[in-house]
Amino acid sequence: MSLSPYLPIVGLFALAFAFALFSVAIAPLIGPRRYNKAKLEAYECGIEPTPQPVGGGRFPIKFYLTAMLFIVFDIEIIFLYPWAVAYDALGLFGFVEMVLFIGAVFIAYAYVWKRGGLDWD
Amino acid sequence: MIDVWWLLILKVVGIFAFLVLVTLFTIWFERRVVGRMQHRPGPNRVGPFGLLQSLADGLKLAFKEDILPRGVDRWVFVLAPVISTTAAFTGFAVIPFGPEVSIFGEQTSLQLAEVPVGVLVVLAASAMGVYGVVLAGWSSGSTYPLLGGMRSAAQMISYEIGMGLSIVAVFMAASTLSTREIVAAQADGTPYQLLGMDVQLPSWYVLLLFPSFLIFMISIVGETNRAPFDLAEAESELVGGFHTEYSSLKFALFFLAEYVAMVVMSGLAVTMFLGGWHAPWPLSLWGEANTGWWPFLWFTLKVMGFLFMFVWLRGTLPRLRYDQFMHLGWKVLVPASLVWIIAISGIRSAARDEGDRALWLTVLGLVFIAALLGYLWPRRRPVPPATADSGAGGFPVPPLDLVVPPNPRAKRLAATRAGTGPASGSGEGADDEKEV
Amino acid sequence: MILAQTVAAAGPALDAAPALAAAGDVSVGEQVVFWILAPVALGGAIGMVAARNAVHSALFLVTTMFALAVFYVLQAGPFIGMVQIIVYTGAIMMLFLFVLMLVGREASDSLIETLRGQRMAAIGLGIGFALLVASALTRGLGAVSAQGLEEANRGGNVEGIAAVLFTRYIFAFEVTSALLITAAVGAMVLAHVERPKGMKVSQKERSRARFAEGSYPGMKAGPGVFATSDSVATPALLPDGGESDRSISRVVPARGLTSAEAAPKHTER
Repeated sequence: MSLSPYLPIVGLFALAFAFALFSVAIAPLIGPRRYNKAKLEAYECGIEPTPQPVGGGRFPIKFYLTAMLFIVFDIEIIFLYPWAVAYDALGLFGFVEMVLFIGAVFIAYAYVWKRGGLDWD
Repeated sequence: MIDVWWLLILKVVGIFAFLVLVTLFTIWFERRVVGRMQHRPGPNRVGPFGLLQSLADGLKLAFKEDILPRGVDRWVFVLAPVISTTAAFTGFAVIPFGPEVSIFGEQTSLQLAEVPVGVLVVLAASAMGVYGVVLAGWSSGSTYPLLGGMRSAAQMISYEIGMGLSIVAVFMAASTLSTREIVAAQADGTPYQLLGMDVQLPSWYVLLLFPSFLIFMISIVGETNRAPFDLAEAESELVGGFHTEYSSLKFALFFLAEYVAMVVMSGLAVTMFLGGWHAPWPLSLWGEANTGWWPFLWFTLKVMGFLFMFVWLRGTLPRLRYDQFMHLGWKVLVPASLVWIIAISGIRSAARDEGDRALWLTVLGLVFIAALLGYLWPRRRPVPPATADSGAGGFPVPPLDLVVPPNPRAKRLAATRAGTGPASGSGEGADDEKEV
Repeated sequence: MILAQTVAAAGPALDAAPALAAAGDVSVGEQVVFWILAPVALGGAIGMVAARNAVHSALFLVTTMFALAVFYVLQAGPFIGMVQIIVYTGAIMMLFLFVLMLVGREASDSLIETLRGQRMAAIGLGIGFALLVASALTRGLGAVSAQGLEEANRGGNVEGIAAVLFTRYIFAFEVTSALLITAAVGAMVLAHVERPKGMKVSQKERSRARFAEGSYPGMKAGPGVFATSDSVATPALLPDGGESDRSISRVVPARGLTSAEAAPKHTER
C-alpha cells in the first residue's frame, strides 16, 4: 500500500508547523524589548503574585474521573465507527451485539451518574 | 488518484492561504455582526468597510513585545501555540471543496487528501488540539491560565464524546468514513418504499438525521471553545484563561488556531450534514451548478453560514456556569446520542425487510421525532408585569427607587430647617422637585 | 519499570524495520518516512526516560506515540493509526497529563540514586533487551515476506476490521465492555469523594442564593467609597453642587413609572 494519499496531510501539517514555528521564532526578534520587572510577573489582579499557583499548580482529582470516563467513551466510539460503516453487512446480528455492548457500557455510565460522579460543584 | 508534485504543493499552499484569509475575514465579520447585534457599527476604519482591520491587528501583534514571564516552563510555553495551530490546520486536509476541476490542464479534485479514514483525521487533529490549550495553561505557571487550561481540557474532552457519538449515524447512513464518499452519498435522494409508493427521501443528512445534527452542532461549539461555552477564557472570571500570559505572535497563533478550528469544524459539519459542496436545492436545478469551480462557492457559502451561526450564538447567549455546562455535556448529549444511535440502527435494521414493518417503524420514528421536538420546543412562559422592585421579567435590575438610609447628619440639618422634609430621599420626588 | 515502557514504546519501531525490508516492494517514499520517523520515535522514548520533569516525559511519550501512529498508517493500517492518535495520544496520554498535574508542576525526579549503580545497570539491561528483541525479530521475520495484505484490505481497511471484529472476535469485543465497566467503577472508587447532600454548596445553590429575593446581586460599593445611594435615579452632581439632569437615563421614565417615581432622587445631606 502506498503512502501517497496521506502525503498531502503531512504536507499541510508540515507547512502549518513551519509557519507556527517561524512565528514564535521571529516574535522576540521583531518586537521591542523594554525591561520591566512587573511585566515578567505572573498575572494577578493588583496584588503580589503568590509564589505558587493554586495548590502548587495542582489539579483537583475530579478531572481524573472525567478523563477516565472520557477514555471509556472514546473506546466505545472507536468500536462504533467500524460497526456503523459495516452495519448493512452485519445485519440483525450486528444490531444485537452492539445493543449489548452499549448496554454494558451504559451500566458503568449509570453507576457513575448515580454515585454523583458527573456532578460538579 | 495521485496528483503531480507541483499540483500538490499548489493545493497545500492554497488551502493554507484559504484558511488564513477566511480567518482574517471571519474576525472582521464577527466583530461587524456582533456590532450590529449590539447597535454599534463595529470596525469600519481600516480599508473599505473596515475589511483590513484584522490584518492590521495581526501586524500590530507581530510588533508587540514578546514577553516570557518568570516561572514559565520555557519549552512547553513556546510549544503550546505551535501545537494548537498545527492541529487546527491539519484537520482541513481531508475536507472536499468540490468535484474534479482542471488546474493548468491537470484534472484534479478540489480536495487535498482523499483517505479511507477521512473523518478520523479531523477527529485526531482536534484531539491533538486539546494539548495546545492544556499545555499553555500548565506551562504559564500562573493561576488564571492553569484554571483556564484545566477547565478547557475537561470541556474539550467532554464535548469530543458528544461529537464522536453524533456522527455515528452519518457513518451508518453513508457506510463509509471517507469524506468524499459521504458527500457523494448526499448527492441524490434515497429511493424509499412507503405505502407502495416510491418516495424520494431528502439526501442531506441534516434532514434525515436531524438529532445527530443538533448534537453535533452543540458539540462543535463546545469543542472549539466558543461562546456560550467559552469557559476556558471566561473574561469575567479568568482574565484571558489559558492565554493570559501570552503576548505578541504567540497570542496571535492561539487566535488563529481558534478561528481555523471554527472553519474546520464548520467544514466538517457541511461535509457531514449539508451535502458538502453540492448546490442547495433551488440552485441544483441549474445543470452547471455542480460542475467546475461553482461548488467551491457553495461550499464557502455554507461554511460562512455556519460561521455566522457561531457569531450569532456569541451575540445571543450568555456564558454557561461550569456545572451547567458539564451537566449538558455528560447528562444530556451523551445519553441522547446513545439512544439515538440505537434507535436509528433499529429502524435501519427493520427497514431492510420489506412490508409493513418498515411502515410502522417509519411512523414510530416520526412520532419519536415529533415527541422530541415537542419536548425541546421553547416554551413561552407568561412574563409578569414589571414592577419597580422585581425588575424586568424576574431578571434582577438595579433598584429604581432605592430607599436611602438616612444620613446621620441629616437629622441635625432637618432639625435646623425645622420640619422642611424627612430624612429620606426616596419616593419624595415631588417634594424634591420643588427644592430644585 | 520506566525501562520496560521505553522498550515497549520502541519495540514496534524496531520491528517495523525488518518487516519493511522483508516485504521487498517497499517504495522509496515509505523508506524515507520510516527513516525520518524511526529516530523521532526512538528519540521520544529516550527523552521520556531522560527528562527530569514529568510533564516533559509525557510529551516525549506523545511524540513517540504519534510517530507510531504514522507507522501504522505506513503499514496499511490507517484505521488503527488514527485510533492510535485519538485514543492513545488524545485520551490516554491526556489522562497521564492530568495525573501528572495532580502531583503538581514542581515535581521532578531527583538525580540521587537510591540504589548504587542502578542507573548503569538499567541502561545496560535496556540496551541488551532491545538487542535481544531486535535480533529475535530479525531472525524470526527476516526471511518472511508479508502475505495476505491485499486480501485483508480488499473491501477497505475499516470494513475489513469490522468484518472480523464483529463476527470472529465477537467474544473479545463484548468482553471489552466488561473492561470498560471495570475502568469506570475503578475510577469512581479511587477518585470520587462522596459527600452527603448539602455538605458542600454547589454552584447552583450559590447562584440561587445570590439571586434570591432580598439579596442584591450586583457589586457592592468598594471599601472607602462614600455612597449613600446607588439607585439609577440618583443624579450626578455638577461642580457647583447642582444636579445634572443629563445623568438620569431617559429610559427610567419610559419604563412605566409615575413622574414622581421617575423624578430625580437626591442624595440626602
